Amino acid sequence: MNGTAVLHSIIDGVLTGSVYALMATGLTLIFGVMNIINVAQGIFVILGAYLSYALSVHLGIDLFVGLAITIPTLFVVGVVVERLFLTRIKGPERVVMSILVTYAVSLVIEGVLNMVFSTNYVELHAWYVDRSVKVFGIYLPYIYLLGFAMAVVLLTALYVMLYRTRFGSSVRASLADQTSAALVGINVKRVSTVCFGLGVAVTAAGGMIYGATNAFNASSSYDLISRLLVIIVLGGMGSIGGALVAGIMMVTIEDLVSVVWGPVWSNLAFFLILVVVLSLRPQGLFGKQTVRVA
Amino acid sequence: MTSTTAFLSFDDVVAGYGGGDVLKRVNFVVQEGGVTCIVGPNGSGKSTLLKTVSGLLRPRLGQILFKGTPLVGKTPREILKMGIVQVPQQHSLFKEMTVEENVSLGAFLVRDRSEVSRRLESVREIFPIVTARAKDKAGSLSGGQQRLVEFARCLMLEPELVVLDEPSMGLDPKTLRSMFHTVKLMNEMGRTVLLVEQNARQALKMSHHGVVLENGQVRLSGTGKEVLNNPEIGALYLGGTFHSKPPAPEDTAMKETD
Repeated sequence: MNGTAVLHSIIDGVLTGSVYALMATGLTLIFGVMNIINVAQGIFVILGAYLSYALSVHLGIDLFVGLAITIPTLFVVGVVVERLFLTRIKGPERVVMSILVTYAVSLVIEGVLNMVFSTNYVELHAWYVDRSVKVFGIYLPYIYLLGFAMAVVLLTALYVMLYRTRFGSSVRASLADQTSAALVGINVKRVSTVCFGLGVAVTAAGGMIYGATNAFNASSSYDLISRLLVIIVLGGMGSIGGALVAGIMMVTIEDLVSVVWGPVWSNLAFFLILVVVLSLRPQGLFGKQTVRVA
Repeated sequence: MTSTTAFLSFDDVVAGYGGGDVLKRVNFVVQEGGVTCIVGPNGSGKSTLLKTVSGLLRPRLGQILFKGTPLVGKTPREILKMGIVQVPQQHSLFKEMTVEENVSLGAFLVRDRSEVSRRLESVREIFPIVTARAKDKAGSLSGGQQRLVEFARCLMLEPELVVLDEPSMGLDPKTLRSMFHTVKLMNEMGRTVLLVEQNARQALKMSHHGVVLENGQVRLSGTGKEVLNNPEIGALYLGGTFHSKPPAPEDTAMKETD
């Protein structure tokens, strides 16, 4: 172990962690506004990766240019799923039912992807995927830097939307209290639909980076969703800032432990931190200690 | 009791949750320009009644008419557009948002930004706290201050009817007086007020009309003074009669509903 390796792992962790943070932000936005745990978020990421793959392989469209197609496509997929299945879930069992319904959605999409693309692992390719730039003696892959830049741009856009627009005010109000939001005239149902669409749309970007840095098939969604759920639990369910911090923290800790003690310990160290944090703050790092009713 | 010219009327309203009815054929009329106070014991259906007005709960039977237009079946948003604003029982400010953001959200349905600014200025004059604590998070305010900001927010829509669900809940005596004074002020500004209040004596004193709800039905209705002076009601809900001497016969000549 040397200082450069540790520094390298920290930088890698921050760069890739930002992409996980982006994907988790979508998940926590959906939970915060709708009280729905979308366990299909993992398969939406993989769907985004496959869409980028199809555009790249069959139409020769660059991975980043393809986002102009995949992001709106997944937004529409999210809106359709929300309208078809999630608006029907009501009552005190809403959270539990949402897990079952989105898991069913996940299984259907997984089956379709397996049929269309087979179960063989694929990877996304572009000229910048295998190249690096050397900065102060550290090789940084272009794809990590581009992914980080993309995550920063999208998260900034999300921030501006949330804090500088009328729609953003309605989202934050709905995040805080749906009944009170309805009483000032906010159409909470429409806000929920758009938020679910946005939460799914960001997986297109995350999926593209994931597919460019990992070989994947439809089953890769299980590892992804477990990581994303851990991130939003650690950050605090419904907290967008929490998802950001926890996403970067998770990957950085994994990378750091992997370099210092070896890859075998990386997951263990992270989950140990999760257990300790939740023991001290059951609501997560930035979550609010509230009791939700229905 | 039904009248197409009434400001707000409840006609045989039945409503509830799950399998049971909380409201069992409620009938009464709210007069324009006044303060109408609904009192009654816990579980009598007071808050449920207000939820049917604001669209949070759809009555199973009956009709609610606002200036002759049916409210049943309309969404809270549509009802707001008609000029009816409700301040719910629990504090309803968005605690992570600033006071100014909260108040501005009161005019969420108003698209014209200059109009929102004009209304904000007007509300600031009535509620100095909106300016004094503009950039503070609403969650940092005391219960009484939050209630004032809620009132300020509800006036942003320049409503015709303000529906208040137990606005005095959790307030200390000094803040309580200030709160009632503000309700009176809102009424003097031309807003009709429909109020549910546990602090019945004080509320009825400032109300033009009083309605006693019991087991989901209107037990009595009359002027605020009449309800206040009714010995039976006084004993049941106001902690004893209000006046030391028995009320004059004309004071108790209120309408009884079975």
